[in-house]
Amino acid sequence: MTFKKIGMVVLAAVLAAGVFGCKKKDEAKEGAPAASGNTIKIGFLGALTGDVAMFGGPSLQGMKMAAEEINAAGGVLGKKIEIAEADNRGDKQEGASITQKFISRDKVVAIIGDPTTGITKVAAPIAQKAGVVLLSGGSTGPGVVENGDFIYRDTLLDSVAIPACIGYFANTLKFRNVAVITSDNNDYSVGLSQTFRDAAKSVPEIKIVADEKVKDGDKDFSAQITNIKGKNPDVIFFSGYYTEGALIMKEARKQGMKAVMFGGDGLFSPKFIELGGPAVEGSMVALGFSPEQGSPETTKFVADFKKKYNEVPGVFAAQAYDSMLLLADAMKRANSTDPKVFKNELAKTKNFKGASGTITIRANREPIKSPLSLLMVKDGKFVLKSTVAVKME
Amino acid sequence: MGNFLQSLVGGIDPYLMQILVNIGIGIILAQGLNVIVGFAGQLSLGHAAFVSIGAFTSALLTIRTGLPFSLNVVASGAFAALVAVLIGFPILRLTGDYLAICTLGFAEIVKVFLLNFEPTNKALGLTIPGAHTDIPMPIYVLGLAILSILLVSSVNSSRFGRALKAIREDEIAAESMGIYATGYKVQAFALGSFLAGVGGALYAHFLGYINPSDFGFMKSVDILCMVVLGGLGSVPGTVIGAAVLASAPEFLRFMAQYRMLVYGALLVFLMVFRPNGLLGGVNMVAVLLKVLGKKPSGAALKKNREGRG
Repeated sequence: MTFKKIGMVVLAAVLAAGVFGCKKKDEAKEGAPAASGNTIKIGFLGALTGDVAMFGGPSLQGMKMAAEEINAAGGVLGKKIEIAEADNRGDKQEGASITQKFISRDKVVAIIGDPTTGITKVAAPIAQKAGVVLLSGGSTGPGVVENGDFIYRDTLLDSVAIPACIGYFANTLKFRNVAVITSDNNDYSVGLSQTFRDAAKSVPEIKIVADEKVKDGDKDFSAQITNIKGKNPDVIFFSGYYTEGALIMKEARKQGMKAVMFGGDGLFSPKFIELGGPAVEGSMVALGFSPEQGSPETTKFVADFKKKYNEVPGVFAAQAYDSMLLLADAMKRANSTDPKVFKNELAKTKNFKGASGTITIRANREPIKSPLSLLMVKDGKFVLKSTVAVKME
Repeated sequence: MGNFLQSLVGGIDPYLMQILVNIGIGIILAQGLNVIVGFAGQLSLGHAAFVSIGAFTSALLTIRTGLPFSLNVVASGAFAALVAVLIGFPILRLTGDYLAICTLGFAEIVKVFLLNFEPTNKALGLTIPGAHTDIPMPIYVLGLAILSILLVSSVNSSRFGRALKAIREDEIAAESMGIYATGYKVQAFALGSFLAGVGGALYAHFLGYINPSDFGFMKSVDILCMVVLGGLGSVPGTVIGAAVLASAPEFLRFMAQYRMLVYGALLVFLMVFRPNGLLGGVNMVAVLLKVLGKKPSGAALKKNREGRG
C-alpha cells in the first residue's frame, strides 16, 4: 500500500514537473532573442526518431556541418548561425507545432526541412503566414512551393529528373518497351509513376507496354509479373520502395524475365541488394546526389563529412548542407538577415555550385539541379553508371 | 465579430495556441471514444477510421462547395455517424475481442478505400484551403471541445448514459431489465463517431493537408490511450488524458531523443499505479465537496465506492 502511495506521489510529481517545468523554460526562452542579436537562428524541421528518421538524421548532420563551416569563416554578415533543432517523429501535428515553436519562440529567420513532402505541406502555410523562409531539402511531391513566396526547396524534382532519365534510356541505352509498376498505397510511388507516364509521352521511342499495381507490404508478385512477362519489356520502372522492388525482381528472374529494374531513390538502400541478391544485378536508380559525381564541391564535401562523422554522406545530408549554404548566400547578396528581404535573393539563385549539384531556382520557385546520378547494381554494390546532365534554363 | 475574435487569438502566443488546439482536438476525439469504450464498454480499435471519414468529408465540402464551416463540421460529423450506424448494426452484435478485431478491420477497409478513391486524390492526399468562416480555427476547436465535454457529461447523467453503463456491466442483465442493448450500442457508436467526424473536420482544416496514412492503427491507439489514461468512462479524466497525451510530446521536448522513451515509461508507470486511469473511479462531486471543506454526503461516498463512475 505505501509502495503504491509513493508511486502515485512520484507520478504526480513527474506530471506536474513536466507541465510547470515546460512553462518556466518557455518564459526563459522568450527573453532570449533580444540578448542574442549576434546570431542568425535557423530551424531544423525533421524526424530524428521514428519511421522517417533516416531522412531527418542525416539532414541535421549536413546542416550542422554547413553551419560550422560558415561560422568558422566568420559567419554571415558578421553574425554566427545557430541551429534550433526539434524532433517531429514524422508526425504532421507535431511538425505543425514545431514550426510554430521555431517561429514564435526561437524567432528563426528560416527553417530547413522537412525532408518529407507531407510535413513540408503542413509547415509551409505556417511559415508563409509568419513571413519566415522555409527551404525543404528533400520534398519532391507537388503542392509545396505553391504555398507562397517564402517557400523553396533544393531537391532534384522527379519532374526534372525523370524526363532526363527517359531521354538517356532512349538515346544511350536504346531501351524501347517499359513496364510501369506502382505501389498504390504509397503517395510517393503514385506521384512518381504519374510523372513517368507524363514524361514518356513526349519521347516517341519509349512505349509503356504494361501498367501494374502492387501495394507496400505485398509479398507475392507472381500475378503482376506474369502479366508483364507477356509484354516483354526491356526495363521495369518501379516507383516504390526497396523491399517490394527486390521481391519483384526475384519473381521476375524466377519466371525467366531478363529485364532490369529502374526506380527513384526509394530503391536506393543496401537492403535492396541484400534482399534481391543476384536478381537485382544490373538494376538502376536515379538519384539527385552521388558521392562519386565528381565535382570539386562534392568531393570536398564528402571528404569533410567522412572526417567529421566517419561515414559516407547520402543525398539528404548533401541537400541540407546545400540548403544552409543557399540561405547564407542569399543573405550575403541581400546584405540582410530579414527573411522578407533575403527571400528575393534566394529566388534569384542561379547556377549555385553546391555539394549535391548545380542549383538554379526557376521563376516558379521550383529548383533545377544538375547533374543527375544514375547508379547501377554491380557485383552486389551500387556503382555510379553515369551522370546525366539536366538541361538548365 | 470575426475581426474581434481574430485579434483575440492574435494576442496569444501561436505556439501555445497550437498546443491548445492539439489538446482541443484530442479532447473531442477522446470524448467520442469515451462514449463507446468508457460508457458502453464496447472496445473499438477503429476510431481513426471515423476521424478520417470526417476529415475527408469536410475537406471535400470545403473544396467543392461553399458550405459555411459550422454546417460543414456538423455535416462531416453526421456523415461519420451515418457510416457508424450502417456498420454498427452488424458488428455491434459481437462483443469483446471479436468486436475489437472487427473495428480494426473496418478501419483498414476505410484506409484502403481512401487510398484508392479518386475524389480524395488517392494516396497523395488533399490540400485544404482556408475554411469558409471568419471565426479563427483555434476558437472553433476550443469552443467545440467545450461543447463536446458538455454533451458527453450530459449523456453521462442521462437515462441513455445509465443504460449504456448497465450494458457495460452486464449485457444480459440489462436486456432482462428491458434495455434494447443493440439499439443503445448503435446509438453510442453513432454519437462517438459523430464526435470523431467533427474532430476529423477540425484536424483537416487546422493542418491544411491530410493523407489517408495519417489515420492508421496508431492514431486509433493514441486516442484509446487518452481515454484509458484518463480513466474509462470518466469525463474529466478523459479531458486530462487528452490534455496530457496531446501536449506530452511538447513538454517532454527538452529530453530530445529520450522523449518517447520517457513517454512510454510514463504510460507503463501510470497503468501500474492507476490501473483505472488518472481519474477512473474518482467521483468529482465528492472530491469537490472535500476540497470545499464540506463533508461528502453519504450518497456521494457510496457512488465513489462503486468505482468507474
